[in-house]
Amino acid sequence: MSKISLIIRREYFSRVRKKSFIIMTFLTPVIIAFFYGLIFYFSYKEIKDSHDRIVVVNENTTLTEPLASDKNIQYTYSQEPLATLKKKIDKAGFDYILYLPDFDISAPRGIQLFGSKQAGLSLNNRVADDVEAQIRNYKLRQSGITQQQLDKLSSPVTIDTKKLGDAGKEEDSSAGASTIIAFVAGVLMFMFIMLYGVQVMRGVIEEKTNRIIEVMISSVKPFQLMMGKIIGIALVGLTQFMLWIVLTMAISTVAVGLFVGKDEAKKMAQTGVNTPGNALPGQDAAQKSPVEGIQKSLAHLEVGKILGVFVFFFLGGYLFYSSLYAAIGSAVDSETETQQFMMPVMMPLLFGYALSLSVVTNDPYGQVAFWLSMVPFTSPIAMVVRMPYGVPAWELALSMGILVLGFIGTVWFAARIYRVGILMYGKKASFREMIRWFTYRA
Amino acid sequence: MLSVQNIVKQYVAHRALDDVSLEVQKGKIFGLLGPNGAGKTSLIRIITQITAPDSGQVLLKGERLNTSHIGNIGYLPEERGLYKKMQIGEQILYLSKLKGLNTAEATRRIRFWFEKLDMVNWWDKKVEDLSKGMQQKVQFVATVLHSPELVILDEPFSGFDPVNADLIKNEILELNEQGTTFIFSTHRMESVEELCDDIALIHRSKKVLDGSVEAIRDRYKSNTYAVSYSGAFDQALASGIFEVLQTEPARSATTMNIKISEGRTANDVLALLLNHVQVYSLNEVVPSMNEIFIEHVRKTDQES
Repeated sequence: MSKISLIIRREYFSRVRKKSFIIMTFLTPVIIAFFYGLIFYFSYKEIKDSHDRIVVVNENTTLTEPLASDKNIQYTYSQEPLATLKKKIDKAGFDYILYLPDFDISAPRGIQLFGSKQAGLSLNNRVADDVEAQIRNYKLRQSGITQQQLDKLSSPVTIDTKKLGDAGKEEDSSAGASTIIAFVAGVLMFMFIMLYGVQVMRGVIEEKTNRIIEVMISSVKPFQLMMGKIIGIALVGLTQFMLWIVLTMAISTVAVGLFVGKDEAKKMAQTGVNTPGNALPGQDAAQKSPVEGIQKSLAHLEVGKILGVFVFFFLGGYLFYSSLYAAIGSAVDSETETQQFMMPVMMPLLFGYALSLSVVTNDPYGQVAFWLSMVPFTSPIAMVVRMPYGVPAWELALSMGILVLGFIGTVWFAARIYRVGILMYGKKASFREMIRWFTYRA
Repeated sequence: MLSVQNIVKQYVAHRALDDVSLEVQKGKIFGLLGPNGAGKTSLIRIITQITAPDSGQVLLKGERLNTSHIGNIGYLPEERGLYKKMQIGEQILYLSKLKGLNTAEATRRIRFWFEKLDMVNWWDKKVEDLSKGMQQKVQFVATVLHSPELVILDEPFSGFDPVNADLIKNEILELNEQGTTFIFSTHRMESVEELCDDIALIHRSKKVLDGSVEAIRDRYKSNTYAVSYSGAFDQALASGIFEVLQTEPARSATTMNIKISEGRTANDVLALLLNHVQVYSLNEVVPSMNEIFIEHVRKTDQES
């Protein structure tokens, strides 16, 4: 077996067998799923709780048609006098009392809303709208318009966003879905490159402080040792990533079911997203909910392609950065000394991360987005952020090509520093020193 | 076996090795001696192919050193190191596979060595759970497991307790008898002089002295002897035969250091003394490597 594969195996298995790896790998999806479930649970609860129950005391003789309840407001009519209800407000099953006096419908005055807590502005407007609508309907009926004609007056409007794909083919798209995927991918990419890059650095420092490095280097070339470590840890990263995806999907499905129950989740998906205020009676019940829309466009996002691109850019970006981390690790004697070298390496990554999640998500086809996704320092993040919005094939290919050249460059550069650095002890390394190492003959 | 020819290694600030040449004979134990910072480690790193010389070359069995020789050399660095979190058996297995052994053969040999060195239950232990002396044993096994023809030990006995040092010493001698060539590198000369056949002294990046231990000792012998006796001895009688350098009277016996005159032998000394005093012992005073080294270094320092 070749030496480099021996090193890769050791680096891989020594990490994958670690308790911390196993715990992290299995716990993270559980935590993600837990929060995911929690969000579902609370948003569901929120909808349930925000259901305002209003008791209407109607003394008006003209407006006899009851106010229409919906999922946000539930009107019930009571024959009890206002004074009695006021006393019961905390104990009885309602939140507010709407008092409609016998006013002149051309000049409604004296309408009151009582509650143990102050009614919010939106509720206030909502109730006013409802009463207004009722008055308007009444007036329209008076002028001879039938209920059927009234129902026909309002036509609810929803907009389907369609992206024109190659050859003008229509694809369902959702700005929301793309943005969510872009964010998740960007954050994950940043996290992965940082996390595993630092692991490479730690590994190098460990070998150096353990002094095993001399034994190793008398058996293998420094380059083999460095690449073995980098590749081994890359495989650890891929393993973790794959497990996370599989586990997160599995657990999330179970968790949502547990937290909310299947029927309720379904119900919530349908009702939870209708915007308040335009739910007029008789509205088209089969209105397409946005959640459904997001799901639909997710299906069209070519998840496979995005995943593939993600894995490629993870590997490319990781190789690009981790070799720099390996060089840093080789130059220092302990982790505390790494600070001054970490900054310059982290800056471009942080810069790319910040810009990708702000500028690129706002304008995924702009100049900034284009250049960020070309420069290998930022392209791993910028490109995966752009992917969900669609990237022309030639740009993707060009970016990949540049990244490959980029990491070949950094690996070469790092290897030259590494081979000298790992044998240097007790010397406080500086950038000038490292440049000098770079020019050493092996 | 190993021929080091005109090696020069230049670092930015100083020259670590300045035209160093030496020969290591097959089957011998070779001592590479010198104070800290003399350049021993730099030389070893070149022999183990960790670094390359700026000029000069190293031949192993007549061949210029290359990567195919890695399996022929075993190296125990001064700074001992192992992966702390790795199990011992696995660790030695890993290191010996990197030297070219296959898993089955390496496993068999590890078992053999574990038995031999009283480490039978160590396979699953982690390095961090071992004492320093125990770690040294593990490292020694890792160094010789692939049966290298040349074993280089940097400060071989530092860190061993006397019992384990003896154990390792015996293993070294046994391997040596089977034909393994050893290079010891150390600044503590007394620790290896009894084991070494040949030595080289490195001082300030230069080789200042080399040859067989016997030859060097002979060269530094000064015809001095230590005599211990009881009775009165008139030093005037010694004229022409030996010169008294120093006497140290004690209750039981007097010890005196003498230098035998040119042309005379220890027998002449004894013949004279036997007539006057009761002689208990007469020993040649042999300079230790350390003394030779110090004297030599003082001399070269004065010259430069």
